[in-house]
Amino acid sequence: MSAISSAAQPDLPIPDPLPLRLKLLIIATLKLDDVRPEEIPDDEPLIGSPRFGLDSLDALELVLAIEQEFGVKIGNSEESRRALGTVNTLAAYLRSCPVAA
Amino acid sequence: MNAPADQLAVGLMACGCLTPFGDAGATTTALLAGRRALEFSPVLGRGGGDLVPLALTGPMDETLPPRWLPALRQLGAGIPPAAWGAARSPVIVASSNFGVGSLYAFTRDHDTRHLAHGTPFASVGLLRGEFGWGEHVHIFSHACVTAHLGLAHAARLLHAGLADRVLVFAFDFVSPFVAGGFHSLKILNGALPAPYARRESGSIGLGDGAAFAVLTRDSAPFRLAAHALHNEMFHPTGNQPDGAGFAACAAAIAATAGGRRVWVKGHGTGTLEAGRLEAEGLARQFPSAPLVSWKGSLGHTLGSCGLVELAVALAALRGGRIPGTVGGAAPSFADNVALEPFGGTDFDGAILTSNAFGGAHAAMLLTHD
Repeated sequence: MSAISSAAQPDLPIPDPLPLRLKLLIIATLKLDDVRPEEIPDDEPLIGSPRFGLDSLDALELVLAIEQEFGVKIGNSEESRRALGTVNTLAAYLRSCPVAA
Repeated sequence: MNAPADQLAVGLMACGCLTPFGDAGATTTALLAGRRALEFSPVLGRGGGDLVPLALTGPMDETLPPRWLPALRQLGAGIPPAAWGAARSPVIVASSNFGVGSLYAFTRDHDTRHLAHGTPFASVGLLRGEFGWGEHVHIFSHACVTAHLGLAHAARLLHAGLADRVLVFAFDFVSPFVAGGFHSLKILNGALPAPYARRESGSIGLGDGAAFAVLTRDSAPFRLAAHALHNEMFHPTGNQPDGAGFAACAAAIAATAGGRRVWVKGHGTGTLEAGRLEAEGLARQFPSAPLVSWKGSLGHTLGSCGLVELAVALAALRGGRIPGTVGGAAPSFADNVALEPFGGTDFDGAILTSNAFGGAHAAMLLTHD
């Protein structure tokens, strides 16, 4: 059945699952119970955003959660700050890590 | 509006410290030679983990009694005898972490004996018993400006006529709990600190440190002439991004220095953002004063650093040579960062500063004959 569906719609782009996975992780880690994944933009700053009120302590929690979830090691605070820029920069960072799952 | 500095001059009747190099004299000699006490060690001690730069007086693991007690006994042997802890001779104990590593050890080993010195009150109680101090013991803890607060409080006690002499005693020994915390923050990592260096990423080292000072209102060859304290009240962890907090404290202490020729011993942990703001703020107030940090060798001894580094400064002044910024590298955040030792006889004062998590700033003016 799925093979038939795929064959019938060959040109539809396959959604990248990583940004959605990251948004779900952000919501769960930071207990943003009133926020839905689609409300987190892909390309707006995560930390310091007045929309979500995330600060450096939230960033620390997020870094630990990301390291645990994806099996990566963020080396220093500057690398952490760059990676946590936006959902897109975080996704790009994880794709650049050889051990990211 | 920023508070002016306290100008309550007090005499330094005695001062000493303990670092992995030994006492203040040995520490100064090592710094002048450019030696680092920092070595790469597992962040969790026997628990393993990443290798990070730590300057330790012995294995980091928690012991019974706590590993800092024998070291403090050694330091305490140099304290001039007095009825310490009596009403007119109070003791101020300053630490950022006291025996917090023992709480970690308790959670790991479930040995309740660790709890006997796991809190500030309990660890100071252990010291009181060890040194025979009376009941007039004040406990101070305000992150990395703690020792400065203790020294400033001592000056206030003396000038208020509430004490004849004050012993300020500071200690912080690295534990897996503390090292692990800084490692989680990503600022204690696999690189050596390079204070004030303009580079791609920052890092700190942590170190064991303890020190004491005896202060009176009597005249002495070395004097603490002024203290400036400032808290940004801006953010629970971060600094004002424009450096206003660093600038306010530097301006307050500069106002007390008058026309003195000073050098500056800064905080300089090796982090990038705070290091830049600090160096720029100090350079604006003291553009021709050499700026040094010794944390690239000794590591950051947290709440005790202000007093440990005061003891080193005194030993350096006695010897006539001031250690440079060990571990630093050009280019620096400010032109006046001194990477190499320099002569101390060209100066008639020194500014010693510390900064803390959450935007707390402290500075003091050290003067001498």
